[in-house]
Amino acid sequence: MNIVTPAAPAQIDAGQVAMHSRGYWTTVLQRLGRDRVTLFFASIVLIIIASALMADVLAPLDPHKASMIKRLKPVGTPGHILGTDETGRDMLSRLLFGGRLSLFMGITPVLAALLIGGALGIIAGFVGGITNMLIMRTMDVFYAFPSVLLAIAISGALGAGIFNAILSLTLVFIPPLARVAESVTTQVRNLDYVEAARASGAKAGTIIRVHVLANVLGAIFIYATSLISVSIILASGLSFLGLGVKPPEPEWGLMLNTLRQAIYVNPVLAALPGVMIFVTSLSFNLVSDGLRSAMDIRM
Amino acid sequence: MKIRALRNYFAAVSLAALACSSVTPALAQGTLRIGMTANDVPLTWGQPDNGFEGYRFVGLTIYDALINWDLTTSDKPSGLIPGLAESWSVDEADKTKWTFKLRKGVKFHDGSEFDADAVVFNFEKLFDAKSPQYNARQGSLVNFRMPGYQGVKKIDKYTVEFTTKEPDSFFPFQICYFLIASPAQWAKTKDWNKFAQEPSGTGPFKLEKLAARERAEFVPFKEHWDKSRVPKLDKLILLPLPDPSARTAALLSGQVDWIEAPAPDAIPRIKSQGMTVVSNVYPHVWPWHFSRVEGSPWNDIRVRKAANLAVDRAGIVQLLGGFGVPATGHVVKGSPWYGTPKFEIKTDVSAAKKLMAEAGYGPGKPLKVKMTISASGSGQMLPLQMNEYIQQNLKEVGIDVEYKVVEWQALLDIWRAGAKAPQAEGTHGVNVSYTTQDPFSAFTRFLRSDVHAPKGVNFGFYADPAMDALLKEAQVTFDAKGRDAVLAKVHTKEVDDALFLWVVHDVAPRAMSPKVKGFVQSQNWFQSLSGVFIQ
Amino acid sequence: MFGYILRRLLYAVPISLGVTVLVFALVHIAPGDPLNAVVGGDAPADVVEKLKADYGFDKPLPVQYARWLGRAVSGDLGLSVVNNQPVANALANAIPNTLMLAVVATSFGFVLGALLGGLAGYYQGTWIDKLATAFGVAGVSIPHYWLGIVLVIIFAVELQWLPATGIGPGGSEGWAWDWLHVRHLVLPAITLSVIPCGIITRTVRATVAEILSLEFVQALSAKGLLHRRIMMHIVKNAAPTVLAVMGLQLGYLLGGSILVETVFNWPGTGYLLNDAIFRRDIPMLQGTILVLALFFVGLNLLVDVVQTLVDPRMRRS
Repeated sequence: MNIVTPAAPAQIDAGQVAMHSRGYWTTVLQRLGRDRVTLFFASIVLIIIASALMADVLAPLDPHKASMIKRLKPVGTPGHILGTDETGRDMLSRLLFGGRLSLFMGITPVLAALLIGGALGIIAGFVGGITNMLIMRTMDVFYAFPSVLLAIAISGALGAGIFNAILSLTLVFIPPLARVAESVTTQVRNLDYVEAARASGAKAGTIIRVHVLANVLGAIFIYATSLISVSIILASGLSFLGLGVKPPEPEWGLMLNTLRQAIYVNPVLAALPGVMIFVTSLSFNLVSDGLRSAMDIRM
Repeated sequence: MKIRALRNYFAAVSLAALACSSVTPALAQGTLRIGMTANDVPLTWGQPDNGFEGYRFVGLTIYDALINWDLTTSDKPSGLIPGLAESWSVDEADKTKWTFKLRKGVKFHDGSEFDADAVVFNFEKLFDAKSPQYNARQGSLVNFRMPGYQGVKKIDKYTVEFTTKEPDSFFPFQICYFLIASPAQWAKTKDWNKFAQEPSGTGPFKLEKLAARERAEFVPFKEHWDKSRVPKLDKLILLPLPDPSARTAALLSGQVDWIEAPAPDAIPRIKSQGMTVVSNVYPHVWPWHFSRVEGSPWNDIRVRKAANLAVDRAGIVQLLGGFGVPATGHVVKGSPWYGTPKFEIKTDVSAAKKLMAEAGYGPGKPLKVKMTISASGSGQMLPLQMNEYIQQNLKEVGIDVEYKVVEWQALLDIWRAGAKAPQAEGTHGVNVSYTTQDPFSAFTRFLRSDVHAPKGVNFGFYADPAMDALLKEAQVTFDAKGRDAVLAKVHTKEVDDALFLWVVHDVAPRAMSPKVKGFVQSQNWFQSLSGVFIQ
Repeated sequence: MFGYILRRLLYAVPISLGVTVLVFALVHIAPGDPLNAVVGGDAPADVVEKLKADYGFDKPLPVQYARWLGRAVSGDLGLSVVNNQPVANALANAIPNTLMLAVVATSFGFVLGALLGGLAGYYQGTWIDKLATAFGVAGVSIPHYWLGIVLVIIFAVELQWLPATGIGPGGSEGWAWDWLHVRHLVLPAITLSVIPCGIITRTVRATVAEILSLEFVQALSAKGLLHRRIMMHIVKNAAPTVLAVMGLQLGYLLGGSILVETVFNWPGTGYLLNDAIFRRDIPMLQGTILVLALFFVGLNLLVDVVQTLVDPRMRRS
């Protein structure tokens, strides 16, 4: 559940940058097409996302509808394919709706941090000087906390709730994304042809748009995809501790927590939310790995 | 309820596993290890925190009060018996004066003697900010249990006289919460924090070792004044294990001998391993406490009644693994205070729907209410699951509940601050479980119109002159039978006006290893460990 | 080089100050009354006000910060509002327990991770590689608190081989390095080790694969050099990176063991922190986060300095 510090920042050499053209993307797609593992897990990710988005349609029953008579039915019960939870609610429906919240809580912070951290990093890298120092040294302070500690400390202070959990995770992910963006931007900025563009009088905005963004986005995007897996585990960890989603909303981490007591009655049932978190996180990780090697970006 | 030891076919499997497993290390004969629900060892300096679990394991083990609860029987509600006072009486002429005759020859753990000075010392510690031993924190933990306290004075070495602000027949019940610590031990350091490390009381157990958040170890106090309460155990170890599944795992893997409140779903498994699960009714109620400030939807009696009729209490008892009693009022049927309410609390969805329709709500026009609940807490049972189920029940009759889940201490803070406080955020009620052990705790503190925040915990600012008159009458009725009759009227009115949403009474399940013998579970929040031994 | 090390050391000072500000701000952005947990169930408001003054919570925030920092520098982290005992004492008891758990978990993760990663990198593309890589990815993808619960059910409750909870019969005071006590360490340490194990597997695999792909190594191999020589070469070149990752992982585990410590009731800093959060014990929360963050800053510094000494090219900006 840790963020791997990009000890050696993303390395991009001039040759690689120059390759970022139509030919490069064709190569990337060709590589992906040959990588069956990545394709397989990418399809799992797509299935999980699609089923969460379409939970309303797919869920056989109301995920909130409780019935004590039907509580803790095992997997395979007619009418409840994946059984029922501790208050008799349909597990399949809850897992589908739970996926929606878990993915939302896992992906939103990374997207938000990608925007904020990416922007901060690009500004710091492009402008340099005092701006760079101010931004990056502030990031360093956040970096002085292990990620889990920071997430739990912030949500612990703010109190339980989806919004607070997303806020705390966003704050956790901004510094590493800013750092990657900054280091790649600095490298790109110093490349000969960017220097040349600058010398020829191109506006800063144009340089950022044409040269920097084109080269930086790939790197931070890949890095961000590797954070989604971390984020999903952290978010469900917060819910597990009681700092995330509020009941009765289904969320995998919270379901794991409340079903913990049923582990003696129906261990398979109690394990299901954990399996979902594991599979989702694993798939995101492998897809991120696959994309990275296809795009030939080293972290 | 009887002690049941059920075994099913799992027993053979787990016993076989037990036989070939590495054995748990041998302990000194007669060491009892208890897994508590609290997340820390309760404060040991006199007045404990952590609610009544604190009193149960740390308060009444190390200390005695002037009057004690009789914890020796399991078949009837506990009564009051002499503790450090041998007798007490109210002045017939001036009913605000109480004389307590103290027990002679009682020694504290440090060897010093208990006398009238010790009593005065302990009450000044709590109520007199000018005394050197004053401790605001300890005062905050207990003083609210006796808002009528005026003062105490020594008459002679073994007699003290208390005065109350107004005549108060509940006084003997309330004095049970005030524990007597040794002045001589305090004088050694003049620091209550240091006292907490080496406390000294007159109770049956002496604290031997205290490690915050980890454990407390006790040895028997052989010189206890009541020979029948000298513990049979060699050692008592308390371990804070707040998570129910972790407690259960600790019991099943042989790391503790006794756990409080096992996870209900794990109880069959616990029994299958040859463990005993005991339970007994005790004065507990799990209610919703309504806000009655202006604008609260609960101001409409039809809505309050509809909610009481909508809840499927049998279903909730099922969720609790059978360890609960459906509530039909604030106290259980059979209590001398139950009375004869006309409003029968049961599940009747159609009657509830009818009441809601009369109140102007229906399927197309649901009533929206906001409630504040906790995710855990002592006496809260399974708050999340139970409230989620109630939410479903109420939805069926047209009440849409929105919960704000806060942690246990935050909930107590909101509760104490009252429904009008900013931190209550306009909530329409709280879910806090209550004791109904004594008349003040059961009724007065919630129903008297003048004990709202900041003076007391009438959370909802409920006010009814007729109720005030009844409570006053009970307070000044000094004969026990007469008082019970008045309290029965209070309860009758309380139920007929549906002042709370009553759900269940807990039966305090405890699970213990078959080696634990001699435990008698009294019908009380507090329990005696003196007779317990390990075999 | 020493100029660089000196600069790194000096640089740690503003970072640490920033950390104290953040820690202080963190616990004061929280809604609600810091004395929630202190007072009993229904204590009246005047008592609460009096207690607030006693604990200094009635002063303006900058004053509270200055006083807190001044005392913290001298090692006084205040009193826990929950049990009135010094925060520093609680931390002094908890830190060795967490350190012990983190060091054992990191070492275990390192040995297993280096082995798996080394095999995977050496036999790149074979089924050994695939298996080891899968293991590594699984390690970083599994919700480890859940793994902990599953391990307890299997090894403590069903098989009864290992204890489910706690640190041993005598509490942390009675700890000793014998089986009676060490058996309590096994499940939490294994649970906690899956992440460093996964990360180290991936790092070692990548590093080994990269070294093997270098032209001169392939040339050495072509010249028929002994496997052992090549192995030595790999170890020498991979060590700095792997050790740095391991050092950082140790830091992460110190701060990140909160979920595992909660599952196992392990009396370390994570357990302390969880308790402090839920009881809103502000001095305890501040003290614990501060000490853990400063520990992490120090460890980062140490990793940098050692790395620089071993290989001056590895300087981090």
